[in-house]
Amino acid sequence: MSNLAIDIRNVVKRYEEHVAVRDLSLQVPRGAVYGLLGPNGAGKTTTIRMILDVIAPDSGTITVLGRPNRTAGVLDQVGYLPEERGLYKKMQVRRVLLFLAELKGISARDASLRIDEWLERFSLCTPERDWGDARVDELSRGMQQKVQFIATLLHDPELVILDEPFSGLDPINAQALKDAVVELKRRGRTVIFSTHVMDNAEKMCDSVCIIARGEKVLDGSLAEVRQAHGTRNIALTLGDAAQNGVGDVLRDPTLVQKVDESTRFFEVELAANADPQRLLRRLVDAGACIERFELVQPSLHQIFLQRVGMTGVETGMSGHG
Amino acid sequence: MADSKLLIVAKREFTERVRSRWFLVMTFIVPVLLSAAMLFPAWLATRSKPTAEVRNIAILDASGAELGARVAANLAADSTLGPATSGSIGPAVRLVSPGQLAAAEDAATHEVMAGKSIEGYLVLTDSALSGASARYAGRNASSFSTMDRIEAAVKQSVMMVRLEKQGVTPGTIDSLSHLSVHLSTERISERGKGVAGTTGLLAGIGVGIMLFFSIIFHGQNVLRGVLEEKTTRVAEVVISSVKPETLLGGKVLGVGAVGLLQQIAWMGITFWLVASLAPLVVKSAGAAARGAGGAPAISSMFGGFTIGMLAATLAFFLLGFVFYATLYAAAGSMVNSEQEAQQAAMPVMFLLMATWLMVQGVIGNPNSGLAVVLSWLPFSSPIIMPIRMGLTGVAPAAVAGSMVVAAVGCVGAVWLSARIYRVGMLMYGKKPNFRELARWIRYA
Repeated sequence: MSNLAIDIRNVVKRYEEHVAVRDLSLQVPRGAVYGLLGPNGAGKTTTIRMILDVIAPDSGTITVLGRPNRTAGVLDQVGYLPEERGLYKKMQVRRVLLFLAELKGISARDASLRIDEWLERFSLCTPERDWGDARVDELSRGMQQKVQFIATLLHDPELVILDEPFSGLDPINAQALKDAVVELKRRGRTVIFSTHVMDNAEKMCDSVCIIARGEKVLDGSLAEVRQAHGTRNIALTLGDAAQNGVGDVLRDPTLVQKVDESTRFFEVELAANADPQRLLRRLVDAGACIERFELVQPSLHQIFLQRVGMTGVETGMSGHG
Repeated sequence: MADSKLLIVAKREFTERVRSRWFLVMTFIVPVLLSAAMLFPAWLATRSKPTAEVRNIAILDASGAELGARVAANLAADSTLGPATSGSIGPAVRLVSPGQLAAAEDAATHEVMAGKSIEGYLVLTDSALSGASARYAGRNASSFSTMDRIEAAVKQSVMMVRLEKQGVTPGTIDSLSHLSVHLSTERISERGKGVAGTTGLLAGIGVGIMLFFSIIFHGQNVLRGVLEEKTTRVAEVVISSVKPETLLGGKVLGVGAVGLLQQIAWMGITFWLVASLAPLVVKSAGAAARGAGGAPAISSMFGGFTIGMLAATLAFFLLGFVFYATLYAAAGSMVNSEQEAQQAAMPVMFLLMATWLMVQGVIGNPNSGLAVVLSWLPFSSPIIMPIRMGLTGVAPAAVAGSMVVAAVGCVGAVWLSARIYRVGMLMYGKKPNFRELARWIRYA
C-alpha cells in the first residue's frame, strides 16, 4: 500500500483560451491535512476536478490511494465537497443522502443507519423536529450546508476533498467543520482542502502547496515552508505614530525589501544581506520609540504575498473570510 | 459496478417522478380524455341515427295514386329503424285533393308546432309520381339520416307504383322490393381484410397524438431534470461518483421507464373505460343502435390494434423517446436557465414539429411517398410508423427495418448528446455558439 493518498505527476490541463494547470506535480501523504492554496483562478478547482476524474487532464498521471484515479471503485473511497454546493431541492433530505451514499457503493440498509446517526450528530434530527423527512428546499442555508457535509462523509471515505469549505459558512458551522477535520485526522483519514484564506490554512494544515497561474509555487510541510523562508522578517511595534525619520529608514532599499505597515505595527522583510542590527541602530538613531523588535518566521500570509506577488492575485485575494 | 450505478441513477429518476402528484394526475386524466374522445363520436353517431320517430309523421297524399300508402308501408317495414313499436302512431296517410293541399298543410303545421302527435309531414303530389320532387317539413328536417330514410321510402314507393302501372303484380313487387341493404365499411390491407376503416383512422390519430405528446412531455422532463442538476450544482457531486455518461443514461432510462409505465397505464385504463362505458353510451341512445351490433362496434373503436402492433408502438415510443430525450438533455446541459433552455431546445422542437405537421398528410394518404419516406427517417419514424401501421397494412419487415434505422439514429443521438453533456454540465457562463459546440463534441 502506497503511503501517498494522492500522487499527481506532470499534469497539464489546457483550455482554448488559457492553460489552467501546467505541469503540476504534488504528493499528499496519507493521514495529512493538506492545504491547496492559491488565489482565485490559480487552478485549484481544476486540479481537484482532475483528481476526481470529473475532467480529464491533457497529460500527466494522477494516482489516488495507490491506484490510478480512473480505476473502478477508487473514487468510492473519496468524499468531495465542491465549492458550489447544491442538492436536489425537491427531494427529501433522507432520500438525497441515501442516493448519494448508494452511488458510493453503500447498501441502502447500511446507509439508512448512518444517515440517522449523522442527522442526530448535526442536530438535524431532534425530538422536536426530524428534518430528514423535510424537503431540501425547506431547510435553511446553514442546514443545507450540514446536509451536504454529511453527504461528503457518509460513506466514511479514506480521503476527503473540500473545495473552499469555509466560503459561506457562519462561524458556528465553520467551527463544526474544523472539529470534523480534526476528528478525521485523528482517525487517520487524509483531508485536502483548498482555500485562499491563509489564516485557516495556517491553523489547520500539516502541509501546504501554493499554486498560482496553474503552476506550483512551493510545497512541503508547514514547518519546512516557514523554515525555507527563514527569519528574514522582523515584527516591529512602535510606542507612538512613526516619525518622519523612521519612515525614511524603513524605505531604505539597502535595509528593507518590503514593509507591511499599519499605524504602529510593521512586518518588515529585510533586504538581501542586510543586517538586522544595523536596522535597529538606524531606527534608534531616527528617534523611534521601540516597543518590540523581534526576528520572526514569516506568516503563511506573508509567504504567500512574497511568493505569489500581487501579480498572481487576480481578484478577491485577501485575508478576509 | 458501472451498471449498478446506472440503475441507482435510473431508480432515483423513476421513484422521484412517480411519487409526484403530477404523475398521478396525468396518468388518470389522459385516459379519461382519450375515452371521451373515442366515445363522444360514437355517442353522437347513435344519437343521429334515424329512429322510430320517422314513423310519427303525416303524409299528405295529393298524388291520387295511393303513393302515400306505399310510403307509409315502406317506412313501417324499414328494418334499420327497428321493429315498429305498438306505442308509435305510425305514418298517418291523409288523402287530399290538390285544391285542399294548402289548407291541409296549414293544419299539419299547427299539429307539428303543438308538438303532440307528429314530428313533421310529407307532401306528395303529381310531381313526386313523375320522379321530380316531394316535400318534407318537420322538427327533424335537419337530420340527414332521417331525411335519408324518408327519401329512400319515397323513391321505392314511386318505383313500385310505376312497376304496377307496367303490369307487374303487387305480390311480385313486394317480394322484389323487400330488401334491406346496409353499407358497412371494411378496410382492406396487404394482409387481408381488416376492420372498420373509419375507426382505424381514429385509433391511428389517437396513437399519433399520444406518441407525439408523450415524447415532448417526457423529453422536456429530461431537459428540466438536467437543468435542475446543473443549476443546483448537484451535478458536480454526482459526477464525482459516476461518469457523466452514466448520469445521462440513468436519467434517460429512468424517465423513459416512467413514460413507458404511463403509456401502458394510459392504454390499459383507456381500454377499460371504453369497454365498460361503451355499452352504457350505446344503450342510452336507444334500441336502434343495437341493430348495428353493440359489442363489435366497441372493439372496432380500437381500430384492429393487435398485440403485435401494440408492442411495436411501445417500441417506437421508446426509440422516439431515447432519440429526443438525449437531444433534450444535451440542450439542457448547454445552458443555465429555463429561458435559455427553451432556446437551445428549438432545433429539437423543430424536428418534432416538422413531423407533427406531416401527420395530417400521412393520415390522409398513409401510402404516399412522403409517408413512406417519413417512416424511414429516424426523427419522424417513431411517430409516423405507428400511425401508418394503424391505418394501412405495413409489412412486418418494413416495420422492423424502420425500427433498426430509428435505433441507429438513437445511437447517433446518444453519442452526440453524451459529448455535449459531458462538457456542458460543468460549463457555466454564456450559452455556447456553434463553433464552441463543435469543439465540445471534438473533445475526447
